Amino acid sequence: MALLTVTKLSKQFGGLDAVADVDMHVDAGELVALIGPNGAGKTTLFNLLTGVTPATSGKVTLTTASGKVALLGKRPSDIAKLGLARTFQNIRLFSKLSVRDNLQAAMTHRYHENFFAEILRLPAYYKKEALVGGWTDALLREFDLTAVADLDAGNLPYGTQRRVEIARAAATAPRIIFLDEPAAGMNPEETAGLRALIEKLRTDFQLTVVLIEHDMSLVMNLAERIYVLDHGKMIAEGTPAQIQKDPAVIAAYLGGGVHA
Amino acid sequence: MQAKWKAALIWLVLAVAGFYLINELIVVGVINAFIENMLVTIGINIILATGLNLIIGFSGQFSLGHAGFMAIGAYATAIITQQMSNTLGFYLSLGVGMVIAMLVAVVIGIPTLRLRGDYLAIATMGAAEIIRVVINNLKITNGAAGMYNIPALANWPTVYVFVCLTTLMIVNFARSRAGRAIQAIREDEIAAEAVGINPTKWKLAAFVMGAATAAIGGSLHAVYIQTIAPSDFGIMQSISLLIIVVLGGVGSITGTFVGRNRARGAGHGVAAIWRAADGDLRLSPDFDYGVQA
Repeated sequence: MALLTVTKLSKQFGGLDAVADVDMHVDAGELVALIGPNGAGKTTLFNLLTGVTPATSGKVTLTTASGKVALLGKRPSDIAKLGLARTFQNIRLFSKLSVRDNLQAAMTHRYHENFFAEILRLPAYYKKEALVGGWTDALLREFDLTAVADLDAGNLPYGTQRRVEIARAAATAPRIIFLDEPAAGMNPEETAGLRALIEKLRTDFQLTVVLIEHDMSLVMNLAERIYVLDHGKMIAEGTPAQIQKDPAVIAAYLGGGVHA
Repeated sequence: MQAKWKAALIWLVLAVAGFYLINELIVVGVINAFIENMLVTIGINIILATGLNLIIGFSGQFSLGHAGFMAIGAYATAIITQQMSNTLGFYLSLGVGMVIAMLVAVVIGIPTLRLRGDYLAIATMGAAEIIRVVINNLKITNGAAGMYNIPALANWPTVYVFVCLTTLMIVNFARSRAGRAIQAIREDEIAAEAVGINPTKWKLAAFVMGAATAAIGGSLHAVYIQTIAPSDFGIMQSISLLIIVVLGGVGSITGTFVGRNRARGAGHGVAAIWRAADGDLRLSPDFDYGVQA
């Protein structure tokens, strides 16, 4: 069953077709990778799906428990509440907040706190804080962040910041998680850790994962299905084995001289 | 469970002890009328500056319109206590002032909080000037001459209690779900949106909350000073409050208390120079991400 369906999605920046008539679908529980050369429009596509950039035309539908919901035109915060979480290509953490607060800031839509209970510290406030504290502690353990929980996120090493960002996306209790080049700038050891982490998102958190990545060994090993984007157009779709043999993909990556 | 009551108890004991200390010092004559007057002014400015710190320091919205909300509170009190010059009238006027200030904050906030940095500062400054000019031209506010003979319905204990209450409310607000949301917006608005935080809603919440405390400060100002005029609530008043917030450390509540005293000692005109000379005396570690926040 398709969890997310994208139909004829387009985005023009002036005369440039950053994303042109893209069709794709993501099934529940799948791990889909999105690859393509630099400037292909992968991040733009993520931005369109998560509402950061408004689309020019097209349709995006999410299947929820209460039926199909059209995502285009919604605020990014409302899309996040519907269960689409993401990370960013250039890490965007709340740098001056602790790791714990980073995660808790991502949970605000999961519970309601009464304003008066908040400012007067009524028992209801402590009840809610205990609930959120429990969620946070569990996440910190899952992502191996307990040791750095009270440090400012901005002061952590790069690999850890990536992990915090993924944990923060998971803190929103999403259904689909979009990872934008999570392995960029990582050493092989960190990449191996990341791979385990992505596996964990799927098994322990039951999440559907959409991954943009340039590290081909990671993509080919992890992804069940791959979409290839080039100059804003979806040029191929298939399993890793199919994509590796696809002439259009080879042309996009290695140069388009093979017109014969 | 134990820790939370212990912390609450310590703050309560501190607040009561502070009250008795000031009371005793007045009785034995260490605090004379002049110092008492100064302490009350400091208290009122703490209320105003803590609210502004919520807007600037915690939600990261650079507002220069605080004097406008203060004016609303002050005039609500001045007008209502003319008819009802008793304590009940004062508290009623305090509530009315807060409600009007909050409504005005919503009306000003929805369009202006889309702006960032300097643009927001100028827009809020303009909004505060509009409030001042309107007050300057209304009959009920007695125009440019201002209002005088406002009954003295607040003494230092009233102000002391309000300092404690507003600070408590702001600190609690900043350290809860709401506080995490507004600080996330300050740190990175795009990332905050991506984790389900609606920036417009939370920025507005902080702005309205700050406006409500400004109205409290204004009401107390009116019944303590007993004379108010539109010129008291000009741009310089907003800037004075900004100086207190920045001197004390943006995003630091304890700093706002200390900053109030330092800004007063320096005098507003030379505060900027003094701030530079005072660099190594700063008490708050987060001082340096000040004005651009």
